[in-house]
Amino acid sequence: MKRTGIIFINVLIMVAILATVSVYIAFNDKITRQRQTEHFENTNIAMEHVTENYLEGEQRICDVWAQYINSRNMTMTEAAAFIRVSHVLANTSAHLVYLDSKKGVSTRTHLGDADDYAVSYTSLDLLNDTSWISDIGQSINISRAYTNPMNGEQSIAFCNKITLRDPADGSARAAVLLRVMPLSELEDKWVFPQEEFENAELTLIDFDGDYIIKSKTFKNSNFFEFYKSYNPTDPAILDALHTKLTSSTGSITLLNSRGEKMLLAYTPIAESVEWSLLSLIPEADLRVEMQNWPLIGFISSGLLLLFIIDLLFIQRFNKKLRVAAQAAESASKAKTDFLSTMSHDIRTPMNAIIGLTAIAQKNLDDTEATGENLRKIALAGNHLLTLINDILDISKVESGKLSLSPVTFSIVETVENLVNLSKPMVKEKNIDFNFRTNRIEKEYLYTDPLRLNQIYINILSNAVKYTEPGGNVNVDMLEEESPVDGCVRLTYRVADNGIGMSPEFMKRLYQPFTRQTDSRVNRIQGTGLGLAITKQMVDLMGGTIDCQSEQGKGTTFTVVIDIPVADRQRDDMQLDPIDVLVVDDDEVMLQTAADTLGSLGAATECATSGAEALEKIAARHGEGRDYGLVILDWKMPDMDGIETVRRIRSEIDETLPILLISAYDRTEVEDEAKKAGANGFINKPLFRSTLYDKINQLLGKEKRSVEAEEDYSDLAGVHVLVAEDNDINWEVIQATLGMFGITADRAENGRVCVDMIKTAEKGRYTLIFMDVQMPEMNGLDATKTIRKLDDPWAASIPIIAMTADAFSENIAECLAAGMDGHIAKPVDVKLVLKEIRKITERNDQT
Amino acid sequence: MKKLLAIILAATMLLGFAACGTEKPQEIQEGFQPKLSAETECKINIAGSYSNFEALEAEFDRFNEFYPNVELSYTKIDDYNNAIATVLEGNDAPNIFFSFSWMTGNAAYDSVFGRMENLADEALGLDLACIRPGLLSHDADGRVLMVPIFSTSYGMLINNDLFEKEGLAVPKTLQELMDVCAAFREKGYKNPMMGYSADASAPLMNTIAYPIFAGTLAEHPEMVARANACDPAAGEYMRPALEALSQLIEKKCVDLKECEKISDNYTEVILRFFEGDVPMMICTGDTVSGTGKRESQSEAFTAHPFTYTFAPVPMTDKGGYFLDSPSIQFSVNSACNDLDMTNEFMRFLLTKTELNEMASVKRLITPTTDLSFDKVYAPVADVAPELIVSPSELGIEDTLAVQIRLASFKVGTGEMTIDEAMAKYGTLE
Repeated sequence: MKRTGIIFINVLIMVAILATVSVYIAFNDKITRQRQTEHFENTNIAMEHVTENYLEGEQRICDVWAQYINSRNMTMTEAAAFIRVSHVLANTSAHLVYLDSKKGVSTRTHLGDADDYAVSYTSLDLLNDTSWISDIGQSINISRAYTNPMNGEQSIAFCNKITLRDPADGSARAAVLLRVMPLSELEDKWVFPQEEFENAELTLIDFDGDYIIKSKTFKNSNFFEFYKSYNPTDPAILDALHTKLTSSTGSITLLNSRGEKMLLAYTPIAESVEWSLLSLIPEADLRVEMQNWPLIGFISSGLLLLFIIDLLFIQRFNKKLRVAAQAAESASKAKTDFLSTMSHDIRTPMNAIIGLTAIAQKNLDDTEATGENLRKIALAGNHLLTLINDILDISKVESGKLSLSPVTFSIVETVENLVNLSKPMVKEKNIDFNFRTNRIEKEYLYTDPLRLNQIYINILSNAVKYTEPGGNVNVDMLEEESPVDGCVRLTYRVADNGIGMSPEFMKRLYQPFTRQTDSRVNRIQGTGLGLAITKQMVDLMGGTIDCQSEQGKGTTFTVVIDIPVADRQRDDMQLDPIDVLVVDDDEVMLQTAADTLGSLGAATECATSGAEALEKIAARHGEGRDYGLVILDWKMPDMDGIETVRRIRSEIDETLPILLISAYDRTEVEDEAKKAGANGFINKPLFRSTLYDKINQLLGKEKRSVEAEEDYSDLAGVHVLVAEDNDINWEVIQATLGMFGITADRAENGRVCVDMIKTAEKGRYTLIFMDVQMPEMNGLDATKTIRKLDDPWAASIPIIAMTADAFSENIAECLAAGMDGHIAKPVDVKLVLKEIRKITERNDQT
Repeated sequence: MKKLLAIILAATMLLGFAACGTEKPQEIQEGFQPKLSAETECKINIAGSYSNFEALEAEFDRFNEFYPNVELSYTKIDDYNNAIATVLEGNDAPNIFFSFSWMTGNAAYDSVFGRMENLADEALGLDLACIRPGLLSHDADGRVLMVPIFSTSYGMLINNDLFEKEGLAVPKTLQELMDVCAAFREKGYKNPMMGYSADASAPLMNTIAYPIFAGTLAEHPEMVARANACDPAAGEYMRPALEALSQLIEKKCVDLKECEKISDNYTEVILRFFEGDVPMMICTGDTVSGTGKRESQSEAFTAHPFTYTFAPVPMTDKGGYFLDSPSIQFSVNSACNDLDMTNEFMRFLLTKTELNEMASVKRLITPTTDLSFDKVYAPVADVAPELIVSPSELGIEDTLAVQIRLASFKVGTGEMTIDEAMAKYGTLE
């Protein structure tokens, strides 16, 4: 699923959760709000009960007074006196007012005049119509709020109609008794009781909506006018509101003068009063949902955080997967390429082996040529083995467990091998190939020649591979003094004018399975392992590898390694005094040849062409100072080596020793050269030892070899047991051992091997060479079984694995099974002999 | 992108929160700077004769934006004129109360005046300059004890749409008025001009005559004192007013019998005007203040609304006198509780912005120098300066006003001749 899809689903889930929570909270809020509204309404009702009781109580006092006055036929003065006596509240008063004149007396004096008890309601409309005053005891007769004419206070009055006796004529006059109370008295009592409704206000309105008590939020003198001013309405709504407020209990929402939503709870007060009690509270105070915002916020934040973490995790995970997939894809492709190109890399030495074998078969009569071919076949075979080892060692390279097996070897042979391996491709691509050595004085060095060879071959074969046909590849090998004691510094530089490398590729040049992305490169097969292995090996040898490359212009690899000098060197190579003429169009080659010959004690002259050579030889010949030897390059412009030989022979001297230098396979020109009069051939590069041997050979001097053949005569008579299921392998090993006087018995599989060792008398076998993969019982199980035998000799007999399982883990398995050593197939005879000698020497010691 | 969106949303939300509740009306912020602590808690009560004073209550809300803990209330006092002295002495004495020019010189209000704070005291910082000078009364000591909150005048409501419909121009002179009335009558309008005439308390006759009388006295200021003193000699100066009134009646511009059908001088006058068939309704500015609310109460007006304006009755060849009188005035009870906050409220209220706002809500003439802000009163702003008469400035007292009111009523109703009324100046009751 794409990332957008995952994000969409995540967002969808988040929205769904939030929506669910919101709906749940909204539902709860609604319930809570309903409860709060009911609670608010109930509180208003409770206030109404209190109010009603209070009003009834106050009215009752007024009723009692009125009844008493009526029952006593009092005059206004007497009634006032009676009330003054029974009146105990300081802030209330009573007015006795004749209905006809609207004038009367007050129980308290006019403010500011201690003698003035007269009160007048003539300017007030309060008593114009007294129909609202019921008979005594019938109902609560309460006036609207009005200004007390005696003290100017806003007041209300509990009223009763009474009859007073006119003192003038004793007649009865209708009057009204008003028990007047300041509104402030009521306001102080009407405090909303609930703390949770701290902003609640109480208001009393009469039937018309006029305020009796008006709290601060209410405007106008009439509630309905107030409502109309700030709320959308029409006459029908107003009528309905009026009916609702004056006859029922409930609540509505309205807007105040500031446009804020308010909850108004209403309930009528005692039917006879026709007042309504209104409780008002800002709706914001009831907004319980606000309390849940932190919860929603917390959930939202949590989900968002989860989403972000999820997203980051997925991104990181995807990134890793992408990288892993790319790596896997890259590895897969690299390995596919590797396997497909293995064929090429294996076929290259195989081609040399088969080709040289064919040449040898063709020239069976020519012992020297055949010997030479067989030697090259052996070199190519070794390279093939090295190549296979490289493949096997790639795991070691990757795990950094690559190790060296130093031995004494000839750098000359190494270079010859290099040249021979390169020759077919150089020839095929018609590459101008030059291999120049300089000051190679120490021929025998002590390091792992296979690894060194591998380094050199890898670099050289890359140069040849990535150079276009007709290009040139120049190889220089230089021996210098090394700062490391006992070593020489060998510099190997391969320069080509091939396709070169991009700076980007240069950065990952030494990574395994890495090849440059280039259409020209893609045409060329390669494992992509070569430089990785090379770098590892150079590092392992303590050397350096440097690469200078420019795309389209070429590449130069330089490997510098300090290599220990072998203890044994050839004796001091000095030629008898001899004048040598070296002819080559390559001045560098001329210079190195002159230096090398000079170091051998020869007096060297140089000529850069066949014509110049002819002149010099003719000149010397004329002077009677013929050259002792002429070394001619085969390929030269204008006049090649063969033509020059032919003309020397025909025009100057028929006996002058002439060596022809060849950089390539000389077989195709050998016949022609010999016919022309060449005495011998020598291959480039011109090593000191090669020149020394070839010159001595040509001049009839005895060849001296410093490398004594190994003497394995002490091993004659050794008897071994070979567990090998393959007949040919058995034949090879038996014949090989037989060459050194070593005899062997064969066990066809592990079972037979165990049986044979069980039945063998003590000391019959010096050791066992054990194949691993065999029928019935493999070598590992056989070894384990042998190690468990009761016979101490049999149980402790040395067992050397001789197997094609050559990986390090295979070796480890063998050793873990109880074996004493491991030799990989194809077997190196010297290794086999070494193992045998090691054991015989150990046996001799014990 | 999502992250960017989440950041933008969060930032917007934070800005939104930060902005909440901080903004105040730009106008108020610039016009009024509080001097006292915004946390001050107190109650301020304003007492008056209005049953409703929503315009003032709206100011309470605006003031509470600066002082949220000040509880302001308005209380209607029954029988205000008689009760205010007692109220000021009692437990419910207000912080601010209505005061009227006619109280001046009346001994019954000596105690009331005794409680009035001098609002011209510079220490109070009141901006009295925003009020038209002719509306401010200074006592003998130069004190200003009353400041007009609204002003009023005498004139007529004009149904502009009706004039336009009949192709007539609103009259600017007496002759034009006569002509227009005749034209309307010819077009079938039986009552080109109407007004309240049922009793002598505030009849249309006075509305017509008083401005002319005041204008005449303004031309003879030396007579004002004598007129105030009820000197019969001043009666002669009523002649132009009474003759103009008689002329209107004689020319049947006004049919008094029809006018008597209007039962009160406020709501009924307005509702009759809203019937839409009266081109000119004679009334005071106080009556005009009730028009706004009653538009919706009139079925006729709701069905056929029209535009109307208020202008002086053009009773001279030059036009109509604009009698620039205070309507209600505020006085501060110098003995009240929380006097500092009371003065702070007065300082808040006495600005062009707040006074105009109140006048707009109440639909009365603003007392500020910005007369033309209300389109209903726009014609008043066009009155020529020489026709503007300020009774306060002129020194007209209530006694004088009563005499012309009675004289005009009696002449208008035919109870007296012009000469009789003039002769009885000072003794009319």
